[in-house]
Amino acid sequence: MHNKASLALGILVMIVSASGLISAWGWPAKAALFPLVICVPLFFLAAAEVLWALFGAEAASASDFKLSEHLPQSVALRRTGIAAAWILGFFFGILLLGFLVAVPVFVLAYLKIQGGRGWVFSAVFTAVVWAFFYGLFDLLLHLPFPAGVLLSWTGLR
Amino acid sequence: MIESALAGLVLILQWKALAFMLLGILLGFWVGLLPGLGGVTTLALMLPFIYAMKPHEAMAFLLGMHSVVATTGDITSVLFGIPGESTTAAIILDGHSMAKKGQAGRALGAALSSSLLGALVGALALALAIPVVRPLVLAFGSPELFMLAIVGLAFIASLSGQGARGMVRGFIAGGLGLLLATVGQDPQAGVARFTFGTLYLWQGLDIVAVLVGIFAVPEILDLVVRGSSIAGDAPVGQVRKGVLEGVKDTFHHFGLAIRCSLIGTFIGITPGLGGPVAQWMAYGHAVQSARTPEERKGFGRGDVRGVIGPGAASNSKEGGSLIPTIAFGVPGSASMAVILGGFFLMGLVPGPDMLTKNLPITYSMVWTIVLANIITVIACLIFLNRLASLTNVPGTLLVPVILVLIFIGAYTANNQYGDLIVMLVCGAIGWLMVVAGWPRAPFVLGLVLGKIAENYLYISVARYHASWLTRPIVLALFAIAVVVICYPIWQARRTRRSEHA
Repeated sequence: MHNKASLALGILVMIVSASGLISAWGWPAKAALFPLVICVPLFFLAAAEVLWALFGAEAASASDFKLSEHLPQSVALRRTGIAAAWILGFFFGILLLGFLVAVPVFVLAYLKIQGGRGWVFSAVFTAVVWAFFYGLFDLLLHLPFPAGVLLSWTGLR
Repeated sequence: MIESALAGLVLILQWKALAFMLLGILLGFWVGLLPGLGGVTTLALMLPFIYAMKPHEAMAFLLGMHSVVATTGDITSVLFGIPGESTTAAIILDGHSMAKKGQAGRALGAALSSSLLGALVGALALALAIPVVRPLVLAFGSPELFMLAIVGLAFIASLSGQGARGMVRGFIAGGLGLLLATVGQDPQAGVARFTFGTLYLWQGLDIVAVLVGIFAVPEILDLVVRGSSIAGDAPVGQVRKGVLEGVKDTFHHFGLAIRCSLIGTFIGITPGLGGPVAQWMAYGHAVQSARTPEERKGFGRGDVRGVIGPGAASNSKEGGSLIPTIAFGVPGSASMAVILGGFFLMGLVPGPDMLTKNLPITYSMVWTIVLANIITVIACLIFLNRLASLTNVPGTLLVPVILVLIFIGAYTANNQYGDLIVMLVCGAIGWLMVVAGWPRAPFVLGLVLGKIAENYLYISVARYHASWLTRPIVLALFAIAVVVICYPIWQARRTRRSEHA
């Protein structure tokens, strides 16, 4: 998993730096100087990492946090997929319904489905989160939260 | 000088100035805690309210607010792994790891006490440096500033991975950050680079959206995977304890805290580098303070020195960045640019007047930084145990709240849905980097330094051609970069040899 992810990232960086090089080639020197200075070494460093991932044996770790390792890999991957689905669901909810509607819908749904909480608790918790969000960001700070695409189409907002 | 310092203290202790400072502190406290609210934006929003104030009252209000934002931003970073401010991201690496081990209290104690120490060092530097700082700032032209950026990147890239392969990964991450910083309209030729025909990308990637994605999304995913609270199985009592231990840690590593405070002050003095650079440089120095490669492996997994270093630097830079703002009218950061706007609204002209006629007002700013930080840290220490126990709240309750905050945090950066997409893409990259064992710190520093480094490189080449490479300070900084890169390799070899012997 560790090496496969590193291989994928290495290949991704090689593609990004190569396409950066090709794009920068057509720009005026002023605009191309910095991307060229970065892309050339970046491509070769990424190539070295790819070769390392394919043929090397040396382990490497970063001074960074590590994901929990106490669960079987299949369980961890399944739960990661579920979490990613919730995050993407919230994102599409915001696009379709807007922040003002998507926030309470998401919080309530998460507490009920993922958290397994009761209706009363979920409703009260959602109301508190929404009141905080609405009171601070909308009423007090007047941040512009556009209506969602769905609400705009249907003319509800 | 002492008379002016005392006059400054008297000014700030007048009831109206004190009341405005407390109001500023209260606002700054919440702005720092909430990831969706930026310190610079809030400062700008508050500018219209200072018209009716006297200059020292206005400065007490604005600086009181600004001084505490980084301090309370550390709390969000440590407890939830979300950068409360872009200047408090480095503390996540070890601070949040400590919180996950049930040491939230200790991490917060260390963060707050080092922040206070940093603020005091920064304020002292401000008080002492004004008459002597001019030659230092003027000695650093574009070539030196470019090399300084490269040293910073070399620092963090070489120290955030273990072994030769780890170092290569660090440099790839840093390079990727630098490359992403070039997205948007090029400032020299006006070419739209890597914008893929979208108007949104013309202004480049927003640092807040990137930071929230790269740090918060992997943490959220891991929290869902673990299915527990942030502190896991750590008992409530243990989480709440440790605040005093964290304070003791700061004094145990007093030298490190002072050195990181000085790094922060220096970065603050240098116009254009800004707060995010200061904390990452300090983090790099904290990692370098590890004596053995084994000891270095502890960084990113809950080493208290990784909290103390950035904590001290993020607050000391405030005093430092006020120096060029007051002395030359050159703001050291975006927030200082807003404060400079406040100067002009109040009829204060930066320059010699601030060091002669208005010296008591200048000293009142020093006192504001000192008092605001002391008040904030005392207030935080009182509530710290309760705040730390938030890490015992079940993940199923925290996840929806944190997700709401990170989506709002990313969206309010520019009020555009594009920021949400950037946040999600960076979240995926951040997760992949964590899985692959790639360090995220060089990536972020590369992104922060990219625009600055490009401008300085362009000016250096345009002004001096290749001869900028032979300037003495450039050569000295280049030598430092080489030492920084070679030192971990030499250290690892020495350890291997001593193990074989």
